[in-house]
Amino acid sequence: MNIAFYILAAVTLLGAALAVSLRNLVHCLLALVLFFVGVAGHFFLLRADFLGAVQILIYIGAVAVLILFAIMLTRNVSGTEGGGNSLGGAWWFGAGITAALAALATAAVRRSSLAATLSSPVTEQGIVKTMGRLLVTDWVVPLEIMAVLLTAALIGAVVVALEEDRKS
Amino acid sequence: MSVPLGYYLTLGAVLFAIGLCGALTRKNAIAVLMSIEIMFNAAILNFVVFWHYLHNGALTGQVFALFAVAVAAAESAIGLALVIAVYRHYRSVNVDDMRTLKG
Repeated sequence: MNIAFYILAAVTLLGAALAVSLRNLVHCLLALVLFFVGVAGHFFLLRADFLGAVQILIYIGAVAVLILFAIMLTRNVSGTEGGGNSLGGAWWFGAGITAALAALATAAVRRSSLAATLSSPVTEQGIVKTMGRLLVTDWVVPLEIMAVLLTAALIGAVVVALEEDRKS
Repeated sequence: MSVPLGYYLTLGAVLFAIGLCGALTRKNAIAVLMSIEIMFNAAILNFVVFWHYLHNGALTGQVFALFAVAVAAAESAIGLALVIAVYRHYRSVNVDDMRTLKG
């Protein structure tokens, strides 16, 4: 259990660090996929099987492909390819803010009495079954609102992306 | 046997900080969106971690994380459509070039 946590944490941190620091956007995307895989592994480790599957399906299956399409559609023909982090002083400024935030949050976690809590045992085996039942009974209204939101978001995305064509 | 809660919270905080660093320093709008996805995933990881350590047989935490994932998917679809619209207009996805409000 511990070993798995450390391996997955290393994979996740490596993926995230590479995704924000590599210059080529496609390489960034591959590192992002590595990060998503690591997070999905964490979900499986935390006994949230359904969320792990959702993570793989939605993030690696849909979001990563969407980002890849966006990269290919917006590839700058003449200018700087990739758009790296060549910001000079601002890069260090951002890294400084980030390090400060990480240090602050880590210190807060270390001070918290909750932080030493060990996992409470997951009693039921059929979590997915229970969750599916909950989604169509207790949480059916939020589920439907979410469906409407996703539909509206997709229609909105199409409208926004097509707007320029309609004008001309 | 199991890892204490604090380890996961520290991991989530560091991942969020990495995502924030990318969102603040990258020039390419798509790279900024990717960094936002990293921050989103760190937050969702925290939801699941708190569910795992503090649940009392209830699945509410997982359901909430599921809805958060759905909202994140909607956000990324809209965000990438906006990037494409901006690219059509400016022929660039550099966030430094997006300076005017009236197109």
